[in-house]
Amino acid sequence: MSSVAEHDGLFGFGLKEGYKALGGVTDEMVDTNGEIRQHWRSFLATLSALGPQEVETRFEQLERRLRATGASYRVYDAPGGGERPWPISRLPLLMPAAEWREITEGVVQRAELQEALLADVYGDQKLVKEGALPASLIAGSPEFLRPLVGAKPRGGKFLRLYAADLGRGPDGRWWVMADRTQAPSGAGYALENRLAMSAAFGEAFGGLEVERLAGFFQHFRESLVSLGQPGGLGVCVLTPGPMNETYFEHAYLARYLGFLLVEGEDLTVRDEGVFVRTVAGLRRADTFLRRLDADFADPLELNAQSRIGTPGLTRAVRAGSVALANALGAGLVESRALLGFLPALARRVLGEDLKLPNVATWWCGQPAERDEVIDRLDRLAISPAFSPASSSYARVRLGADLTTAERERLIGALHRRGMDFVGQEVVSLSTMPVWSEGRLSPRPFQIRVFAAATENGWVVMPGGFCRVSTAPDARAISMQLGGMSADVWVLGDAPVEQTSLLPSATNVEVKRHVGALTARSADNLFWFGRYVERAEATIRLVRAGHIRAALRDRGERVATQTILALLIEWGALTETPALTRRAALSALTDSRMVGSAVGAARAARRAASAIRERFSTDVMSAVEELADTLAGGRSRADPMDRADRGLRLLAALAGFTQENMAQLTGWRFLEIGRRIERALNTADFVERMGLNPSSQASLEALLEVGDSSITYAQRYFVPAAQRPILDLLLLDDNNPRSCAFQIRKLCELVAALPGELAHEEMSPARRIAEKLHAETVAADPGEVTLEFVARMRRGLMELSDAISDRYLANRDRIAFSFRIDE
Amino acid sequence: MIYDIRLVTISTYENDVPFARHVLRLAPTPQPGQRVISFSMEVEPASSDLQSGKDFFGNQTTNVVCLEPHRRFVARAAARVEVSGAPDMATPSPSWEDVAAAALRLDDLSPDAPAHFLYPSRMIGVPETIRAYASLSFPPGRPIRDGAIDLMKRLHADMTYDGDATTVSTLPEEAFNLRRGVCQDYAHIMIAGLRALGLPAAYVSGFIRTLPPPGEARREGADSMHAWVLVWCGEEIGWFPVDPTNALIVADEHVVVGVGRDYADVAPLDGVIVTSGGQGAVDVAVDMAPV
Repeated sequence: MSSVAEHDGLFGFGLKEGYKALGGVTDEMVDTNGEIRQHWRSFLATLSALGPQEVETRFEQLERRLRATGASYRVYDAPGGGERPWPISRLPLLMPAAEWREITEGVVQRAELQEALLADVYGDQKLVKEGALPASLIAGSPEFLRPLVGAKPRGGKFLRLYAADLGRGPDGRWWVMADRTQAPSGAGYALENRLAMSAAFGEAFGGLEVERLAGFFQHFRESLVSLGQPGGLGVCVLTPGPMNETYFEHAYLARYLGFLLVEGEDLTVRDEGVFVRTVAGLRRADTFLRRLDADFADPLELNAQSRIGTPGLTRAVRAGSVALANALGAGLVESRALLGFLPALARRVLGEDLKLPNVATWWCGQPAERDEVIDRLDRLAISPAFSPASSSYARVRLGADLTTAERERLIGALHRRGMDFVGQEVVSLSTMPVWSEGRLSPRPFQIRVFAAATENGWVVMPGGFCRVSTAPDARAISMQLGGMSADVWVLGDAPVEQTSLLPSATNVEVKRHVGALTARSADNLFWFGRYVERAEATIRLVRAGHIRAALRDRGERVATQTILALLIEWGALTETPALTRRAALSALTDSRMVGSAVGAARAARRAASAIRERFSTDVMSAVEELADTLAGGRSRADPMDRADRGLRLLAALAGFTQENMAQLTGWRFLEIGRRIERALNTADFVERMGLNPSSQASLEALLEVGDSSITYAQRYFVPAAQRPILDLLLLDDNNPRSCAFQIRKLCELVAALPGELAHEEMSPARRIAEKLHAETVAADPGEVTLEFVARMRRGLMELSDAISDRYLANRDRIAFSFRIDE
Repeated sequence: MIYDIRLVTISTYENDVPFARHVLRLAPTPQPGQRVISFSMEVEPASSDLQSGKDFFGNQTTNVVCLEPHRRFVARAAARVEVSGAPDMATPSPSWEDVAAAALRLDDLSPDAPAHFLYPSRMIGVPETIRAYASLSFPPGRPIRDGAIDLMKRLHADMTYDGDATTVSTLPEEAFNLRRGVCQDYAHIMIAGLRALGLPAAYVSGFIRTLPPPGEARREGADSMHAWVLVWCGEEIGWFPVDPTNALIVADEHVVVGVGRDYADVAPLDGVIVTSGGQGAVDVAVDMAPV
């Protein structure tokens, strides 16, 4: 036995300086004598062997990876969005195998119990009629969804994914703090945390026989896939959309499991069946991993205020045509008030005692319990009875903290409407080490443990999503969870199987592409393409204008004014007399102007983050960096410097989408957006700088913004002249910057879209594209007039509309309830 | 008493609506004291998928799907209904405290069980202002029915009927602060007051006769759909209907269409439309006359 002080190798981690457990609570790493627990020693020794410097490098690597994937960020709840960091703790929580087995058994038992309760309440209500579950306890929950009473879930189960939040209580046992049955989150974060940790600490991970997570996800995936009928779209992940704080995880799981990510508005119900609006028309879908809260799922029968649901979904569920995992209404058993009844229900329903105790809870809808809560108010926490036990502690009051007046008010309310409240014991939880300010410190935590329903019963993920409090206060109630997350390593007592992560006989590979493209995703890809191209054109304009602004030559000054006028027309600048350095900077960086370069870059980022699951990490990083580079505060940096960096990032982005994206339908919509935008922008440039009585200087500026100076110089050994330049930028379909080139590409792209058949009658979009192409390639530079350019622009707009109408149609929906009673 | 009821509602939109899905709750529901002799309804444009059903509370619903572009949605309904309502005034009602305790104890989740109507619902909370107001009608030990009638009369006296003061989404506390509103507001306020005291109360949507019985004042809400309140008075008496807008104990002038926790459960015309324009306007005409 070696004590902390003897662990010389650990000095670098601040252990000698005194890693001290908080008083009165268990610490996971050191025992009450301050000695390091057996199951932490090997891990700590590995870290020591690496040395402090190397460990620091690994920490950085870990954080870089999570930043790059986007896992460490989540969206604010605030309107307008924005993301904030959600860092990972640098140390995992280590769990010995034997202890984990107990947790597993307890979690499985609890999942079974909750499933049985849901089946009873939405079924024959035997437990209610016999008084084991008070009717008023059920009726009070906003998650008791009456339209689902009597509906049997397809596949027979209400819960497909169950999670429990656990904390170790003062008695050393693991306690259940909350059940998660609505739409448990965190499994995807657990997976991403694991991938990042095992990459950064390969030695420690490999040497410890840590249980792998992939097998769990494989079971979960198979269980969902088996619910579907052949011929459908497969499993879809139903998300509330990019504004949801766990959207990253929805996208991540969809990609990892090979499921299609859909939002409520992607779905439509026809004749009791659910269909996804794809670019290839309506496609039937019958199985959903539901991450959308049930209440929002159907504005027609559930919450009429929901703008993110699918009208008619409840009816489709009742008809048995779709399976939702978890079922609508499954959130019912998350309610705090239920906790007090679970010990007795476990005995009655399962014939067993709860293997994991839950926090002692008294529902004040019962007179005796209410009176006891009032008697012991000083030692209890009082909470809303029907909020999920996992919900924030914001509305929880500690009896001891109440003023006399508050206490009187609360007691009055308990007498009048006790059923709205629960009293709960205040529990202190154990701590684990986190790396903070260069040393290890103990922090309280909870772990979320996941169980998936499979044909062969419940399978528990060996690991979990650990949330660590930012404050050292160990009372569960004052925990600020979500400050940091940590990986959970379950240490196997036998060598972990390394070879196959596929536990069943079916050797199904996880799919990395999805078979269908929703109309909404296509719309976002199209606009992503347009905004990226617009950002580039804006930067080129600013650069060309700014360089010339300082020149005294009259021709150059006119050219600059032309560019300035265009920037104002594009909405990059407000009315301003000259393209000064300050104006140039503002056209690049003023986010209040939607037409500025940063405005376009942010719009591109918005479109991209709504379809995160379709892009590689590289693309997302480049998009983020582009928006950041262009925004970048009020730095005095030369606008040209910023413009150059922006263009380089755009080139990288073009490379990624060109070289690294599968050139399937989704890519085509991105390309169509980009090509249409480039052709429109080039038409604008030509009209302003090439056609109006045009000086040498503006023609040169035109070549520059059209990025064709070098091609021109190689082809013509004469100074900029109007006729060859009009040919090069408008009509020459070999110049990748010309309108003709974009139009030729558009013809190819449109012809390859779903539903376009070579020998059938042409679609309106294709007809427009082909006509534009014919007109452009047949034209002579001498025929190019303002009218010619205007016609071309009209054609491009019509093409954009035709594609939008056919594939992207994305109108507003209005839910309403008319007042016809007075 | 036998009544003929006719209802027409016309929604008009600014732009073409290519897709619409509606739930209509316009059909009187058969129940003790109310016999539905006939009911018919038609919608325009014709529905591709018209389905009648019942919601959790037993109310008749009609689902309508319109797949052809339209700028006008019309629903016409006609019903003949016999009502023979005469609420139980003879049985002595228990004290309101006993009723509150019984509501929590009952092992019943069937659609008309009091448990469903005991809690805050989407549109009705338990605001302190309304609780304080309602509690004046419920001194300790008062029989529940007496308290309910008193609260109904006070609300009728203290509120001003005003069709312009509130909208379909006005919360009861806002209407109560204004002391103005229409039947929906009267009903919501009374329900909020009862629930705040731990008493189950339900919202009823339906019709009231257009012309009053000879010699009586014209009823409010008669040209449109109407709303009133059910108060649970213990297991023996059950639900007791009162109309705070007209200070009437409901007998044979009202026809029930739907019962729910609040307006949101029984809105006569709900829907989701796809359109690029605004929601547009709605016109409604109702006539209910003795045969």
